[in-house]
Amino acid sequence: MNVALRRAAYVLFAAFIVLVGSSTWIQAINGPEYRDDPRNPRVVAWRTGRERGPIVTADQQVIAFSSPAEDDAKLFQREYPFGDLYAHAVGYTSVLFGSRGIERTHAEELTSDRDSTISGVLNGLLGGDTRPRGLRLTLDHTLQTVATEALGEQKGAVIALDPETGAVLALVSFPAFDPNSLIGADAGQTGIDLENDPDEPLRNRATDETYSPGSVFKILTATSGLDNGLVSPSSTFPDPVELELPGSESTISNFDGEVCNDGVAVTLEQAFIRSCNTTFAQLGMDVGGNRLVETAEDFGFNEIIPFDLPVLASAIPSGSELEANLPATAQTAIGQRDVQSTPLQMALAGAAVANGGVIMKPYLVYDVFTSDGVVESSTAPEEWRRAMSPASASVLAELMEQVVVSGTGRRAAVPGIRIAGKTGTAQVTGQAPHAWFVGFGPVAPSPGEPSIVVAVVVESGGGFGESATGGSVAAPIAQQVLAAFFG
Amino acid sequence: MTRRAEAGLIAAAALVAAVGVGIVEFTRGNWLNAQVVVTFAVFAITFGAVQVAVRLWAPGGSSLLLPTAAFLTAIGFIEIYRIDGDLAAVQRWSLLIAGGAAVGVLWVLRTSGVAVLRRYRYVLLAVGVGFLLLPLLPDAWPIHGATVNGSRLWVRIDLPGLDRALSFQPGEIAKVLITIFLASYLAERAEAMSTVHRKIGPFKLPEPRHLFPVFIAAGAAFAVLTYQRDLGASLLLFGLFVAMLYIATGRSFYVISGGFIAIGAGLVAYGAFDHVQRRIEAWLDPFGHFSDAGYQTVQALFAMGSGALTGSGIGLGRPDLIPAATTDFIFAAVAEEMGLAGSFAVLAGFALLVAAGFGIAIRSRDRFRKYLASGLTVVIGLQAFIILAGVLRIMPITGITLPFMSYGGSSLVANMVILALLLKVSDEERV
Repeated sequence: MNVALRRAAYVLFAAFIVLVGSSTWIQAINGPEYRDDPRNPRVVAWRTGRERGPIVTADQQVIAFSSPAEDDAKLFQREYPFGDLYAHAVGYTSVLFGSRGIERTHAEELTSDRDSTISGVLNGLLGGDTRPRGLRLTLDHTLQTVATEALGEQKGAVIALDPETGAVLALVSFPAFDPNSLIGADAGQTGIDLENDPDEPLRNRATDETYSPGSVFKILTATSGLDNGLVSPSSTFPDPVELELPGSESTISNFDGEVCNDGVAVTLEQAFIRSCNTTFAQLGMDVGGNRLVETAEDFGFNEIIPFDLPVLASAIPSGSELEANLPATAQTAIGQRDVQSTPLQMALAGAAVANGGVIMKPYLVYDVFTSDGVVESSTAPEEWRRAMSPASASVLAELMEQVVVSGTGRRAAVPGIRIAGKTGTAQVTGQAPHAWFVGFGPVAPSPGEPSIVVAVVVESGGGFGESATGGSVAAPIAQQVLAAFFG
Repeated sequence: MTRRAEAGLIAAAALVAAVGVGIVEFTRGNWLNAQVVVTFAVFAITFGAVQVAVRLWAPGGSSLLLPTAAFLTAIGFIEIYRIDGDLAAVQRWSLLIAGGAAVGVLWVLRTSGVAVLRRYRYVLLAVGVGFLLLPLLPDAWPIHGATVNGSRLWVRIDLPGLDRALSFQPGEIAKVLITIFLASYLAERAEAMSTVHRKIGPFKLPEPRHLFPVFIAAGAAFAVLTYQRDLGASLLLFGLFVAMLYIATGRSFYVISGGFIAIGAGLVAYGAFDHVQRRIEAWLDPFGHFSDAGYQTVQALFAMGSGALTGSGIGLGRPDLIPAATTDFIFAAVAEEMGLAGSFAVLAGFALLVAAGFGIAIRSRDRFRKYLASGLTVVIGLQAFIILAGVLRIMPITGITLPFMSYGGSSLVANMVILALLLKVSDEERV
């Protein structure tokens, strides 16, 4: 009888030893993992931190600031009064999820870590200013708001910049997120949901995502032909319904499946205005892979554009690869196949045309100011590279102006302003086409007259689906930004 | 251990509770206040009174039980106080009542001994089963059942002139009554049940009519599970039946068939009940069910992981973030604020109670007292294991209180009565 009783006792003791093991596992061995889980609300630090400097727009709207925490005067809470409007440009700073955007790339100015260096300590001892500095961005609150509303709930990006300086005036990516939600009480779960969201709301599509550029790439193909002296706007090309690609079964046809002009001959100018694939595929093969890639790399392809935010390099295959494959060259020349571009890169292509062939280095921080509001340093506009000759630039500017006047980009027109642009409708396997527009204005500005270049991409046709084109979907968005700039 | 040492340890446990309350107050910026004094007084009076009753009416009773229970109650009380001061005030009253109940039990049995309970075993069974079914009383009646968190295991008594209904969990009391019945039933039938009627392979089967209790066990557990959605209590009852059958007969047949029935019932319940399914899924992958079924488990893991080895310190953690931290998940609250050290102390406390209880049972010569002591010990040990294993992710969560530590008057009263019965049994067997 006591044998069974003892066995029962042993079983219960064994069960308790299992409990000892499990609590050791949970509290000691695996404990740090639970403790540091971003969803563990005990990490109180997410709410507060050290003071960071304010961030304002070019027109002095405060878009990020630190306010003292209620319960501890030494701690500060970060606030983003415009919510998701500046999500991708400004980013966020959160103990749980680190930081992003300007908050990350300019953390040095925004935090007062100067006081940890010897000079900083001395400075502090001598009564100098050790509070963090603030940043004034180049973004314009009106343009940012208009661009955000124009893109609406369509996945994609809008980026606007000053072609003469490289100052970024608007930077929009959708879907976005509210940086405040990564600081609030539910920050842990919100952050994990954002990171796992298949739509990637955290990704800045304006600089950190590449798309097939489609016909917008014809700006580069035309540049290659012009700069290499192979063509002029009046050069004529054959005008077939379908262009047969040598050495392959495939053909290239125009968007509507029709001839470009009269079925006999078409000029480069006509082809550019109507965005004819047959002509530009032919031009691409005439230019050849090496020269086409060389031109693209002059614009900044295959390298990371220096910028205040993370940038994905726009990509084009190597010249030798294209030289060996004429059909690939033809498709690359019309922005299909393996060529991939960020909206930023396409904005810079437009900027090159607008600025006599020179691409200015894009920047987002106008100046850095101290806690007293005194400007400490400001960004000097800097030439990044020459993409094309001034002559080619002025020829392309005229061609692009005709696109808006009488071609595929008519819906980007702003009354009274000379607007130039190029549409793109990039075919993507398995989904609706990406709608592109790159435009600028005014064409040939008088000295001192402000100018702007806008690039718009709407993923998978946006709200228009399969019927979307660059001219119908992306151009009207750019038009609103242009109109707001000139209005 | 002498009675004097026992008294000293009880005073020490009361001091632990009082110092814990003092630390909580200190972390809130307060100095010594009435709460500290009142807490010390309540613990000293409750366990002191039971000890006096033991000296008077069960002088040979084990001296291990009271200090250990007092210590566990103190640890639990500190966390209840830290999470919700109002609940702690109620818990102090419950503790006094529970102490009174224990004293009452010792007084009633002072001359007759526990043997008198055998005489009333069917009355006790009827009352126990009646208590189990009490929560099924319709809501409109003055004494009626109440559903809390999806489980119907409460009874409310609406008294005229009281704006707050009296409520208690009859299941807690029922488990004591059913244990007494089982001990007495088995004391009579054990021999018949352990004789071999037929052999099938390695299994020695008793006469079919002696299997009857097994089916009662399964049936009762199933009924509770189905109608009251009380997984913890049904598991406890079932485990108690199987353990006592095995202890009484020494036949592993009962354990094996009990195991099969449990597995079968588990599978049926998994297929039939959404809430069982959700709990099992949340057990397997609590983080995957973070926002719903797994929330409580994950919050407990966060709490215990944050507690690490030495804990955040009393009053310095956030056990209030764990749902049901004062009842089912009181262990997670202790683990957070007192760390792995506190967890081990609690586990050691229960192990000591179980060891002392089995010691009493093993030393008992009388069948009934042996079975009673082992049954009561199994009730405390198994109940502690069921909820701790749920909190510590050894098995799915089945809501049940942690003896002596969870907030709740019914639970305290039941466990103090168990303590009183164990003390009485040990006193009678010492002679």
